[in-house]
Amino acid sequence: MALFNVLIVDDEQEFRTMTMKRLSKRDILCDGAEDGEKALERIKKGDIDVVLLDVKMPGMDGIETLREIKRLRPLTEVVMLTGHASVESGIDGMKLGAFDYLMKPMELEPLLEKLKDAYEKKKMQQDKIETAQIKRDMAMPS
Amino acid sequence: MPGIVNWIKTVFSLDKSARRTPEELQAAFRARYRSFRALLTANNNALEAMAEMEQTLQSGQTFSMAFVRSRSTAVMVNVYKMIQHLTVLSDGRYHHLETVFEKISTHLNDTLEEAPRVYSGEWIIPLTRLRRTMADEVGEKMANLGEVASLAGVKTPPGFVITVSAASYFLSANNLAPEIDRLLQMLDTDNLAEVYTASAAIQQMISNSRLPADLEEKIYSAYAELEKETKNDVTVAMRSSALGEDYAGASFAGQYHTELNIHKEFLGQSYKEIVASKYTSRAILYRLQKGYLHKDIEMGVGCLAMVDAAVSGVTYTRDPANPASSWVILNMTQGTAQRVVDGTCNTDLFLVSRQSPHMILQHRGANSVNSSGSGLAFPDILTMKWASRLTEIALILEAHFGSPQDIEWSINKQGEIIILQSRPMVAAIGAAGSDSFLSESESGEESSLCGLVIGKPCIASENGHFGFPQNNEWSIDKQGENNILHSKPMVDGTDEEDRDNSQDEQGAGHPLLRGLITGSQGVACGPVYLVRSSVDMLQFPKGAVLVVEHPLPEWAPLLTKAIALIGETGSVAGHLATVAREFAIPAVFGVVDGLKKLTNGDIITVDATNRTIYSGKREDLLAQAAQQPDLMAGSPVQGILRNLLQHITPLNLTDPGSPYFKSNYCETLHDITRFCHEKAVVEMFRFGEKNHFDQRAAKRLMGEVPLDWWVIDLADGFREGTDITDKTICMEDIVSAPMIAIWEGISSFPWQGPPAVSVRGLGSILFQSTMQQGLEPAVASPMTAKNYFLISKNFCNLSVRLGYHFAMIEAYLSDLLTESYVTFTFKGGAADTNRKIGRITLLSEILGQFDFRLEQKGDSLTARVEKRPIEFLRQRLKILGYLSLHARQIDMVMNNQASVNQYREKFLTEINAMLSKS
Repeated sequence: MALFNVLIVDDEQEFRTMTMKRLSKRDILCDGAEDGEKALERIKKGDIDVVLLDVKMPGMDGIETLREIKRLRPLTEVVMLTGHASVESGIDGMKLGAFDYLMKPMELEPLLEKLKDAYEKKKMQQDKIETAQIKRDMAMPS
Repeated sequence: MPGIVNWIKTVFSLDKSARRTPEELQAAFRARYRSFRALLTANNNALEAMAEMEQTLQSGQTFSMAFVRSRSTAVMVNVYKMIQHLTVLSDGRYHHLETVFEKISTHLNDTLEEAPRVYSGEWIIPLTRLRRTMADEVGEKMANLGEVASLAGVKTPPGFVITVSAASYFLSANNLAPEIDRLLQMLDTDNLAEVYTASAAIQQMISNSRLPADLEEKIYSAYAELEKETKNDVTVAMRSSALGEDYAGASFAGQYHTELNIHKEFLGQSYKEIVASKYTSRAILYRLQKGYLHKDIEMGVGCLAMVDAAVSGVTYTRDPANPASSWVILNMTQGTAQRVVDGTCNTDLFLVSRQSPHMILQHRGANSVNSSGSGLAFPDILTMKWASRLTEIALILEAHFGSPQDIEWSINKQGEIIILQSRPMVAAIGAAGSDSFLSESESGEESSLCGLVIGKPCIASENGHFGFPQNNEWSIDKQGENNILHSKPMVDGTDEEDRDNSQDEQGAGHPLLRGLITGSQGVACGPVYLVRSSVDMLQFPKGAVLVVEHPLPEWAPLLTKAIALIGETGSVAGHLATVAREFAIPAVFGVVDGLKKLTNGDIITVDATNRTIYSGKREDLLAQAAQQPDLMAGSPVQGILRNLLQHITPLNLTDPGSPYFKSNYCETLHDITRFCHEKAVVEMFRFGEKNHFDQRAAKRLMGEVPLDWWVIDLADGFREGTDITDKTICMEDIVSAPMIAIWEGISSFPWQGPPAVSVRGLGSILFQSTMQQGLEPAVASPMTAKNYFLISKNFCNLSVRLGYHFAMIEAYLSDLLTESYVTFTFKGGAADTNRKIGRITLLSEILGQFDFRLEQKGDSLTARVEKRPIEFLRQRLKILGYLSLHARQIDMVMNNQASVNQYREKFLTEINAMLSKS
């Protein structure tokens, strides 16, 4: 039984497959996308809890992709990956609602922890909204 | 006293519409606590990154721009997170922080992302037009050479420079910068293999790029001019001349490429390769170590007609080991000078007097030893003449440039001295100011420099003399011969044995080997690591002694890891020696059979100053070793970090009680973290106050202690399996650690006040009694009601009435010190001023004895302890529990100082008894 679903968005094929392989071993359901457009397509299909998103990609860049993800699925949490440490993309990401950022290359454990935290936050938000919905429904039975 | 009434009303939520169900309260608490915890984590991360930046700057150790960037990002992102979490905790208060943060981060970004300079000058400048002031256009080396060329009586090869503007144009025309930056910033510079891979990739990328046609055309038309000036198809030397290469204190010795004997058709390719040599692994590591930015170093390339060299060499206008010396040092060899600086061959060394007529004071060299390996050939007349002339020119250059120079020269077949390069000399760290060499020489002892002879002559020379061109125009002053002060054969250094043996008695280590040359002074100890090939290089362990046959410039990257250097050959003028001196790594050369006699892993002590290698660790010698210099001193990267830290670390907001403890007084990121932390704690303390709950959801606590106690579970505060439908709860079912501690305090001593007539009635009795004194206005009936515990496993908020005043205890106990706290708020008060002050004074006195931080405002008292171990906090909770019950007694006697004293003694005694019990 998978814990939750993660989408890995990075133009580096090697990084993507390696990360997917390692996360899958830890019972996380993984999917990959090589660029922003593909990532958005995949997210539209649903079932993605957390996105691991490279800031620097050819085509639609990470920040732009993040903006779109948040527009499409506000509850989906995004962890930004900054390959070359750019302060601005770190802060910009946070301002656009990224959950956190990680610096490449990173170890598996901190990555796992960060993804789990992100998922926990997503779940909590979801629960809150559901509770509020139930309460509304009960107050106004149709 | 309407204030307290309203306050109590708020706490007990008399306003029904705002009441929350236990589920909502639990959710609110969890969300809040999550934010609080996240804020504290961000606080830790930010402070940790700040500390790391400060320590790194102070330690003098090497750091890269990638380090500066990643730590700045960590600080900024975490501070930003703190602001976000505080906003959640405070329901949008302190939004001004965002503006403050924005202002500071703009400063930081500007400092970090300073745009590279744009070079838009000429692409080609002939050497004759160059002057020292044009270093920004052509690099230090060529600007200096142009200056040299302009001096009367000094010759340089004819040629031109392809400027940094041209290189910048070449790179930008191929759009290489972004990819190069990406590769460099991702680099793990501790991993040599990775550095090599990246270096190779970048260099290849540059070499394979197309030279723009317009630039190529300019280069060839400049070459055509050079042909006119010299001869058709003249071969050229292409020399790197990077920006900042020859800054004082950073010589970049041998870090970049020089290509000799380049034919016309290879001009373009060689040019690209030299531009690419900006990214050799050793140049990358060198810039890292010295704190230079890659983008600040752009490559100018000198294109000089080849000198048909008969003899070449390097002149130091001062002794690097002794800057106050009165001689210049000449290293010379046959052919091109490259062999001197490469360290691949042994050279002749002359010490020549700085005083005209510049006599040779001492001569050590391959050519002074005849084929049988013994005896000494005195320098011939011709050599003396050249030495004198070279010294003359060297002193002209030193005087012109105003500092000791390191000069590379050749003498062509026509007998002209051609200066190839002149740059500031790097002196040895800790060089003595005295004329140590000369005085030692005069006293007949061996000097620090007399080891420059290397046993095996590497230049075949039939008669042991230099092949100077004979068609010279000078005559030789015969006096010269008589002025040679000291000259004796010194092949294997055996005459130093005696002195070293006497030193050995001081320590355990025995001398293993002796070298002949001090490349760089100092003493260091570590395991041996032999390097014969670049494969060995990759496995070189940090802190090892590097042992090589020839001190090639290629080994320079290892000097960032090595603690000492041993070479079987080499000279003090070699590139590697220069780099070793810059990094203050002891280096000994001329260690015969070093590779054979030393084994990997052997611990040895290298005393480079005395050219002796000992087995084991010689503490006595190490103790005398010089301190590590600040390698990054004055470098651009260090400057950037220093600048950044000004906006990050100074702390202006120190006192939370000060009127300046406000968000708009935050000037640095440290201020923001301090402010956020303080306010977050305050917001957390206000949880019970801000959250209204439905009193009906509470469970009544069954127990021995009088008064009404009610418990509301926020999250996991009850033992698993507790019947949640039950209207009552027992202490046994409580698993909230802070509540248990408070309860131990409450129940440690029996209630000694007015008899507890009934649980329900006590409050009333108390209440009535105070009412009768007419000191308190009428209050709503819920006043008489209950004391509430809001709990989770690690959290407890207790609202308790001390008679007719109100107290709140709140605590969070965690293994993480930064998130642990206990706070006690006491508010309101009946009675006249005297009683009020008396009561607060009494509480302050007692709490102050137990390390509480106290704050008194009007009739309220706040006491806190934070960031302490759980056990410490548990003790504090017991004290608060005890006081919350027993301090009621003093209400009756507040106007009687003697009784107050008596109670204080009683309280302290009982508290101490209680604490010592546990």
